[in-house]
Parts: sequence; C-alpha cells; structure tokens
Amino acid sequence: MENHGPKPIRCKAAVCRAAGEPLAIEEIVVDPPKAHEVRIRIICTSLCHSDVTFWRMKDFPGIFPRIFGHEAFGVVESVGEHVEEFAAGDAVVPTFLGQCSECVDCRSARSNMCSKYRFAVRPGMPRDGTTRFSDGQGRPLHHFLGVSSFTEYTVVDVNHVVKVNPAMPPALACLLSCGVSTGVGAAWKQAKVEPGSSVAIFGLGAVGLAVAEGARICGASKIIGVDINPEKYELGKKFGMTHFINPKELGEKPVYQAIVEMTDGGADYCFECIGLAALMNDAFRSSRDGWGKTIILGVEMHGAPLCVSSHEILHGKSVIGSMYGGVKPKQDIPILADKYLNKELELDKFITHEVGLKDINEAFDLLLQGKSVRCTIWMDK
Amino acid sequence: MEEVEVAPPRAHEVRVRIICTSLCHTDVTFWRMKEFPAMFPSILGHEAIGVVESVGDHVQEVAVGDTVVPVFLPQCGECDDCLSARSNICSALPYRPGGMPRDGTTRFSLAATGEAVHSFLCVSSFAEYTVVDVAHLVKLDVVGPASLPPEKACLLSCGVTTGVGAAWKAAAVEPGSTVAVFGLGAVGLAVAQGARMRGAKRIIGVDLNPDKFEIGKKMGITDFVNPNDVAEKTVSEVIREMTGGEGADYCFECIGSVSVMAEAFQSSRSGWGKTVVLGVDGSAAPISVPSFDIMRGRSVTGSLFGGIKPKDDIPMLAQKYLDKELELDEFITHQMGFHEINRAFDLLTQGKCIRCIIWMDYGAKENGA
Repeated sequence: MENHGPKPIRCKAAVCRAAGEPLAIEEIVVDPPKAHEVRIRIICTSLCHSDVTFWRMKDFPGIFPRIFGHEAFGVVESVGEHVEEFAAGDAVVPTFLGQCSECVDCRSARSNMCSKYRFAVRPGMPRDGTTRFSDGQGRPLHHFLGVSSFTEYTVVDVNHVVKVNPAMPPALACLLSCGVSTGVGAAWKQAKVEPGSSVAIFGLGAVGLAVAEGARICGASKIIGVDINPEKYELGKKFGMTHFINPKELGEKPVYQAIVEMTDGGADYCFECIGLAALMNDAFRSSRDGWGKTIILGVEMHGAPLCVSSHEILHGKSVIGSMYGGVKPKQDIPILADKYLNKELELDKFITHEVGLKDINEAFDLLLQGKSVRCTIWMDK
Repeated sequence: MEEVEVAPPRAHEVRVRIICTSLCHTDVTFWRMKEFPAMFPSILGHEAIGVVESVGDHVQEVAVGDTVVPVFLPQCGECDDCLSARSNICSALPYRPGGMPRDGTTRFSLAATGEAVHSFLCVSSFAEYTVVDVAHLVKLDVVGPASLPPEKACLLSCGVTTGVGAAWKAAAVEPGSTVAVFGLGAVGLAVAQGARMRGAKRIIGVDLNPDKFEIGKKMGITDFVNPNDVAEKTVSEVIREMTGGEGADYCFECIGSVSVMAEAFQSSRSGWGKTVVLGVDGSAAPISVPSFDIMRGRSVTGSLFGGIKPKDDIPMLAQKYLDKELELDEFITHQMGFHEINRAFDLLTQGKCIRCIIWMDYGAKENGA
C-alpha cells in the first residue's frame, strides 16, 4: 500500500528576521507532521506580550529568523503517526505549555508543569528539536514555544493541542489559548479567590483584566487595578474592577501603601501581570500579613530577580509563580470554554481590534502603544 | 548580672517568676545588632517557663501560682487574624521594640540608678522576674516534676514549637513527602521531627557541622548534606540529584541567611515545591529568587512560630510530649545556673549545643525541687 501521507504545504506566514523588526509576510513551506504531531490550519491568532518580549530579545533564547505567535485557534489538517487524540477537522487551540498526561506532575492536581517534556523556550519541536518550517529559499525558520501561530499552517506536538467545543466562536476560543486562561486560571485555580476577598492586580493588559474577570466570577468584593495608563480605568470597570490606582498620580506615596490603606492592612491576593521585578516587590508589599498571597504571572522582561524582604515574609506572606495560572490545558481549557458557553465567563470584551495577517504589524503597534487588549489576526481576511 | 527593679504589672499584664529559660539564636541575632530595632541596655531572652507571681487589672485568664510559658508572639483572641484559622499574626498588638505591647514602655529599671532597661520581644526572660502581657502568655496546666518537667516545657516557648509548627501548619507536609531542612539547630531539628510526625518519607538535613547528623538521625533525618563536602556542586544541585533530578517537596530555612534561603528555593521541586523561611536574617537583606524559576509553580512563604497559635497549640504540643509522640529530651544538651548565662552564648555561637537550659535557681533544681 503506497504512502499517501500528508505532503509539505506552501502557505503564507509572518516571519521575523531580526530582533525588534517588523514581521514580513513570506511564502513558506510547512512539513508534514511527524509522529505525535498534528498540522493545524490556523483560523485566527492574537498577539500576547510574551511574543513581544522574545521578539525584542537579541540573545538566546531569542533566535532568528522565527515564526512567533502562541495564542491561536485552528482546525486539524492532518495528523502524524501514533496520534489517536485528534483527527482532521477537529477544532483545536494550540498551547505553549504541554501536558503529556503520564508524568507525576500531569497526574497530580497540584501541578501543571509537565516534567516529561519540560517547558523551555526552544527553537524547535519539543521531542526532536528540529523545525518543520522553511522559507522560500529552503532555509530553516525557528519555532516559538512549540506553537508558532503567525502562519496559515503550523505543526504542533500532540501534547500542546487541546480540543475545543465547536460551538465556541473562533476569536474567543483563541483567547483561551494563553492570556485569558492564564489570568482567569490564576484567580480561580492558583489563588482560589474566595467570595469576599480583596484582590490587587498590577498591570491591566489582557492577563490582568482576565485576573479581574476570574476574581469577579469567584466573588471577590474588592478588585483593585493598578496601571500607569489612565485609559485602563474605564476599561477595567467593564471587567469588575472596583478601585483604580495610577502610581503616577500618587505623588510621594508608594503604591503598596495606597493598597494597604484601601484594604485595611493589605490585599488577600496580589497579582503581578507585567513582568517587572520592582512591581513584583510592590505586589508582595501590598499583600496582607497573616495570609496574603502574591502570584507572579508576568515574565520578567529583563531577567531581573524577584527580591522580597526576608523579615516581611515571616509574617505569613507567600509568593508563588506560575505559568498559565496553574491551568492544566487539556482539562481546564474545555472547562473555561463551558463557562463561557453557559454565560458565567465573559470573553467578548477582551477583543478590541481585528486585522488580517498582512497587517499583523499593526497588532504590534497597538499593543506597544497600550491601545489594545487583544487584536484578533485573521488568516483569511 | 545586675540588680533591676521590676515594676508591678499594669492592666492586662502579669508578673512572672521565671523558673528556667533557654538561649535561642534570635536572642544572639539581636544581641549582635548595633542599631534599631535592637536597643540597649536591655534584658534579652524569650524562651522560658515561669509561675505567675501577681496579676494586673482585668486579668482573668491566669491566677497567682499558675504555670505559664511566655511567648514572643501575641494572641489577643479577638482580632480578624486571631479569629481566622489562616493566620497567627495577631493584628491587635503589633510589636513595639523595647517595651510592652500596649503602651510601649518598659517595666524594668536599674536598681542602682533608676535608668530604664528595655524589654525584648515582650518577654525578657533573662531575669528572675519579668512582666508579660496576658496576650503573650500560655497557661500550661500539665507542668510538674511528675508530668511535664519545666525544662522540657521551656522548649515549647519558641524553638521547638516553631519547627514542629512549621512542618505541620506553615507547610502542611503530607505523608510520603521529601523534605529538606537547612540548618540543624533547635528549629531545624524540630522541623525534622515535625516532618517525621507528618509522615515524610525522606528528610534531608543540611548543615556545616558533621556532628549534627547523629542527633539529626534521632529526630528523623534520613540523609545528610554538608555544604563543605560537595566539591564543585551547589547544595541545590546535590539535593536535586538525590531526588531524581526533581528537588524536594518542602524546603525549610532554619538559619537566617538570605543566601541559604535562595539555595533552599533552588532545591525545591518545580510544580509544587514550597520553601518555608523560619530564620531571621540579622541584616534584613532581601531574598533574591530568579524570576523564571518562580514561574514554575514554586512558592516561598515564611512564618513566625511556624504558623501556630500559641494559646491553642502549645498545650497541644505539651500533650504530644506526654503521649510520647514528640521528643523533647534530646534538644537539651546543657544545663546551668543563671550566673553562667554567658557560657550559654559561647556554646551556641560555637555550635556546641542545641539548647542550654538556664535555671534561675540551679541549686533548687539540683535538689529536685
């Protein structure tokens, strides 16, 4: 029997050839999926600040030329050998965090950090390190976070793919692929915000706003948003924010003092959703003695360490970090999709702009200028 | 050794005749400190046991003659924190260095000159008599030569309770866990015991002093790492190797050094590894943790007194000793009279003791009173 397996596909992709430079739309070749891989036709994708962090990075793990993008929605086009979980036609979201379902961590409710295929920012596929992409001259293009969604077709390891309910609108399913799941997950799973809690959120980008949304559905009574962009005040209110602090308007008063005053001693839960060590420290200082928990979601943009007072920590405070807000992709993304479908979780308000693939650089501009929350990039527009 | 005048107890205060006290490394940390919050002259000591000599107004909880353990951490019983199971940091009586918690003044003065002598951690047990706020006192009915000897009860006033409490409350160690304990002084050894009581499968002790392994084994330590013996590797690399590349489920820092806190963090397992800070760094330096590493599900927390609520939990630990579930005898390596107190400092700073019990009336003790 002849092998009529999938063939390489020629398609369009937004390629980044140097750190910080605009992406170029090029025709590329996408190899067929190998064993344990699926090839996905991307329907839509969105820009997350973590793409920007590595887009700017000149030194390893920054590497070029690269296809960025890790938040997306698509349809399975073909599957490689030994793939039973998915079939051509399945509606899926790719995820930057893998889940093998077999290792100690995947089998434990306490962890979402798969230890069989550990998370790392790699240039190639997670199992064999090689690439499935090549450009018009046959030269290799690097992957990003095992997803690479700024392309009409991509190849993703089966551990990094999650089936979603086909009733989910594509642009909203796309949000669950990273930012919104991270924020909602952090409030719901990682912090386990209780009704009546006070919550402080540093950084009102998509992740911070998703934390607010998660805190809202968990019944938090005070949701304090902290952002230096005054426009985030009106926006935050749509996401359940009850109080807003612009650190630039506090004068001499440090932000943590304002939060301690507002909450009579400190917030129960503080979330850092930007990626700056100084803010992580502010978040820690804003948390309540006795049980205050600080959750770090932002990827530190300069690689600086988190520093907290060794005395203050003795007062019962804790700091925890996570990827994906503690979410286990294959079980929790469907749960979040269900929460949307039964109207518990609101997702539409996260999308503020839309562009076609050819205008992808506009998405970068909008995000860097603080004008967008999520800009959906449609492949077919 | 000087003569002091101890003022009578004011409202909500109790004057206590100290029976015995022990030296804790936190006393040494503040003893060495040149600047605020250390204050001089002062009466140090915060781990002790005594008998109520007189009570001030509005004291109903204890009566003259009661055996009491003074504690550095208050429990007012009424504030949000005291009413919550999640916290042991009483918010009604914040610490006021050098004085009593309610009015910040001291009850001690030099007999010769009348000069004020500052108190320490609201206890000041290096004195034959001290005055303690009732929120800082735990009544212990079970103490007596036939039941719980005072020198054992004294240990529950700080160090041992902190360690056992940390394994139980601050960390909530589960059966089958792997635990790493950095620093095998009284607190670290108590953490080991607490972890063993909680069913930990492996308890790795880290200390520069090889003599600690023998006593550590009695407390439940299963593996020993001496940072001096690991050649080019870091302690965290060694611990990860010992645990199949993963790291420990729980790491406890029981010294008070921010660099060890950072090493403890690196020794914890990604996914759920928890680092618990118990030691007090005298320099108040910050703990520095690589931000990419904390993103992997690890956490850092700290506690005073291991997260326990003194009035509820110290009597419970006393009972555990009487039920032979908790080992206290091995912690006491030396006993001496009050006049020998500086010897206790030498022994501790030279790493030659775990706990030295200092008896106010050593003669009476020797005669079995």
